[in-house]
Amino acid sequence: MGRECEGDVSLSGVRVARKQATRERVLAAARDLFVEQGYEGATIRMIAERAGVATGSVFTTFTSKLEILRAVMEERLDGLYTELDNLAPHLRGSIADRLCSIMAVHYDFEMKRPRLFTAYLAANFEWTDGAPVITFGNNPKLRGMLRDVLNHGLSNGEVRAGADIETFIEIVLSAYAMNYRRAAQEGYSPSELIGLMDKQISLAFRGVGAP
Amino acid sequence: MNHVPSHILSADARPLTRRALAKLRTRKALLAAGKRLFTERGYAEATVRDIARAAGMSTGAVFANFTDKSDLFGEILANDNEALSETMRQIADIQKRSVREALLVVLAAGYAFHLKQLPLLQAAISVSWSHSPEDEARSRAGLRRIQSIIEEILHRGQTAGEIRKDADIDLIVDMICTAYRSNYRLAAYDDFDLDALSQRLERQLDVILNAVKV
Repeated sequence: MGRECEGDVSLSGVRVARKQATRERVLAAARDLFVEQGYEGATIRMIAERAGVATGSVFTTFTSKLEILRAVMEERLDGLYTELDNLAPHLRGSIADRLCSIMAVHYDFEMKRPRLFTAYLAANFEWTDGAPVITFGNNPKLRGMLRDVLNHGLSNGEVRAGADIETFIEIVLSAYAMNYRRAAQEGYSPSELIGLMDKQISLAFRGVGAP
Repeated sequence: MNHVPSHILSADARPLTRRALAKLRTRKALLAAGKRLFTERGYAEATVRDIARAAGMSTGAVFANFTDKSDLFGEILANDNEALSETMRQIADIQKRSVREALLVVLAAGYAFHLKQLPLLQAAISVSWSHSPEDEARSRAGLRRIQSIIEEILHRGQTAGEIRKDADIDLIVDMICTAYRSNYRLAAYDDFDLDALSQRLERQLDVILNAVKV
């Protein structure tokens, strides 16, 4: 009797583990295909084939390709956050310099897989019937770091008291995202993107910096 | 009359003109049906077949007039853009107030225009990340019209002593345009209306213009 119960428990445990394994295989296959073929070019069937699972199993875990993309992008955040943690203790220089360093880490990281990131940005505006599947610019860690640096600037007098810090962050983040177009359409390298972002940050910073 | 080629005056010019007119009507009908379906369903979901049917035509009629779906889509966007930038230019020309005020009313005209057909704009932005070089050139030409209006307003501000002479105008135009366009996300997902978008843009302009004021 007891053995059977145990058997039941481990059976459902196996099921959960199997489902988790399928999920991971699907995500890994999707990430590779998005990088190789781009988001549009990769179909659910191709993802299933690459993952070695039935197309139906993909749909038991994800409702759409867009949702797979979102999961892939969420997974990648772990790596990005590690890099940001590594950077934090080394932030030096003026407030603008520090902001530039934080954004440069992002370009270096994302440009390792540019097609994945542009797919993410494009899907951001994809027509969905209802709520957005992907919320963009919502990397809380990035916003938090930018805010911390700017608050530090407020206390050391580099940032003007009463400056609209949140709007400044929005401007920087929208420029940050739009710059990827130059990578997608004009072949900008990571260092060219970083150079452009530096110019944008130093311009916008004059809008909030102390006179 | 000498400069009119004789074949235009000849009898067989008539059917040719009629055919050209018919072709123009077909194009117009397809563009109108396409615009409606792309707005209702988004880019991927609006098929060439459905667009043809909505226009009361065959699928073949679409391909006789456009290379493919993205060509039809691109032309719809280009026509819209031409109409919008014309409106913006007229506003900019009569707008003699400050740079800030001028930019606000001009760009608010853009918000008002696109809010009426937001899904079309979403589709356009989404497609623009991965479309062909030809489509990119066309959409960039459209964007360029709006950028040049912003540029003129900023130059006027330089002349009026409002904006620093050494300001990097290209960079400012780019950043204003980016802020303006990024705000559409909030319209799509957070139900921002014209007022909310304009207020947000106003704050963004304040930061950017503060950076280059005299």
